[in-house]
Amino acid sequence: MTSLKRLNEIYEMYTSFTEDAPSGKFVFSAKDNLTSKDFESCAGSRILKGYRPPFDATPIRKMREAGGFLQGKTNMDEFGFGTFSANSGFGIPKNPYDLNRSCGGSSGGAACAAAVLEDHVALGVSTGGSIVCPASFCGVYGIAPSYGRVSRYGLIDYANSLDKVGVLSSKAEDLGRYLRIIAGKDEHDPTSCVQPEMPEKDRMAKSVAVPREAVEGISKDVMEHFERSLETLRSMGIDVEYVDMPILKYAMPAYYVIAASEASTNLARFCGMRYGQQDGDLSLGFDAYFTSFRSQYFGDEAKRRILLGTFTRMVGYADRYYNKALRVRESIIKDYKRVFADHDAVVTPTMPFVSPRFDDIANMSALDIYKADFLTIPPNLTGMPHMSVPCGYSDGMPVGLMFTSDHWNEDILLSAAVEWEKGFDRIAPEVKG
Amino acid sequence: MDREIVERVARIAHLDLTEEELEKYGGDLSEILEYFQMLDEIPGDDAVGFNPITVADVLREDVPSVEIDPDELLKDMRTYERYVRGPRLS
Repeated sequence: MTSLKRLNEIYEMYTSFTEDAPSGKFVFSAKDNLTSKDFESCAGSRILKGYRPPFDATPIRKMREAGGFLQGKTNMDEFGFGTFSANSGFGIPKNPYDLNRSCGGSSGGAACAAAVLEDHVALGVSTGGSIVCPASFCGVYGIAPSYGRVSRYGLIDYANSLDKVGVLSSKAEDLGRYLRIIAGKDEHDPTSCVQPEMPEKDRMAKSVAVPREAVEGISKDVMEHFERSLETLRSMGIDVEYVDMPILKYAMPAYYVIAASEASTNLARFCGMRYGQQDGDLSLGFDAYFTSFRSQYFGDEAKRRILLGTFTRMVGYADRYYNKALRVRESIIKDYKRVFADHDAVVTPTMPFVSPRFDDIANMSALDIYKADFLTIPPNLTGMPHMSVPCGYSDGMPVGLMFTSDHWNEDILLSAAVEWEKGFDRIAPEVKG
Repeated sequence: MDREIVERVARIAHLDLTEEELEKYGGDLSEILEYFQMLDEIPGDDAVGFNPITVADVLREDVPSVEIDPDELLKDMRTYERYVRGPRLS
């Protein structure tokens, strides 16, 4: 059996880990932006190198209390800023189906661990698609619950009105099993305290909607698998109806304005004091000291999003960008509710293409990469629970199918995953070593 | 986005950018913001929500407690007599 150390040399899925898993416990990993006592928590950023939190994030605490053993912290785009996990300060996780391709992002290490390691459950975090995108690219099941379903206490914020902790696994039933463990009210996170209980018995979807706008610009191979998947849903007794949701095209700009605005304030705390890198010259003035750390240790995409978010909140621009984006989000939520009045879920491909090669990613502009998120952003912007299931393979690379349901209706997704798995033969990657 | 605005934004954000970075991020932000102009096409809702769900005030009992030992918090910080050390104020 290949050692975890060797596997990590190949796949770079962990930023830190232990090989000593005790028997009698289930093994799980956590994305590196969830604080934990046993490991450094760097959120993929060099500015947090050396940070060892004195407490567990609530989802990690709950997994441990339920009998879980935290094996390590998974690699990710710096602070969650990315679609391909290529923006980490600590190596780039490799796709288990083709090492020259991306795991997806930003929970790329989590999806890789779920695909490669046996009997493994990974905690991921989604802001704009960071659970379902890597789940799709790595051929595993992944769910991001409703905003507020899982406490964010101990999560190193990217965008606090968008961040959600969820679950990835190679087995559909794990999503429900472990989501129920980490869900629930937590006095440390007020946004978790308004949630209704998850029902004990999962409801089955009877009708799903496919927005016409969501199947434009999809690669031919993904579209073929998507259409086949719709046939499978029909054969499961589920009505499939195409609907119009033209407002979805505004989700991408609204999301990036809100996400960057919130990120630029959240990242103000990283300045060479209190956490991580702190080895600067204290004789410098306030501004010079902070600026030196941030300029030296933030990566390229972090700087880009800080600049974007600072601009969209500035006097003279905030009404046009930030305040407008908040109002657009409300309109999109209302449009989803209109669709959910007649349907149990919305179904689309998870990503518009299979995992790209790293050399192709290097040629993409920042805007090209943002546009690649156009399918995963709407449910994330609106805080709706959503899930990716593997639905086929194109030249050996996994394709994902995404389900979105109304706020607090995760149970509809969980039953869909279990039913889907009964009729889908997942092809596990050939693990190298 | 012209260079002057990029420099101003970077100063506010406490980022010291090289000439090359100023050029690169200026170009990227121009392209991104041009695309975002599509937000001007729709009015958006009358409501402005800061969260995607309705969040209500939930209060706990006002009981004093210490959940994390302050000495644990200070352990990895640069300190002087249990104070966090920082740069000069001016």
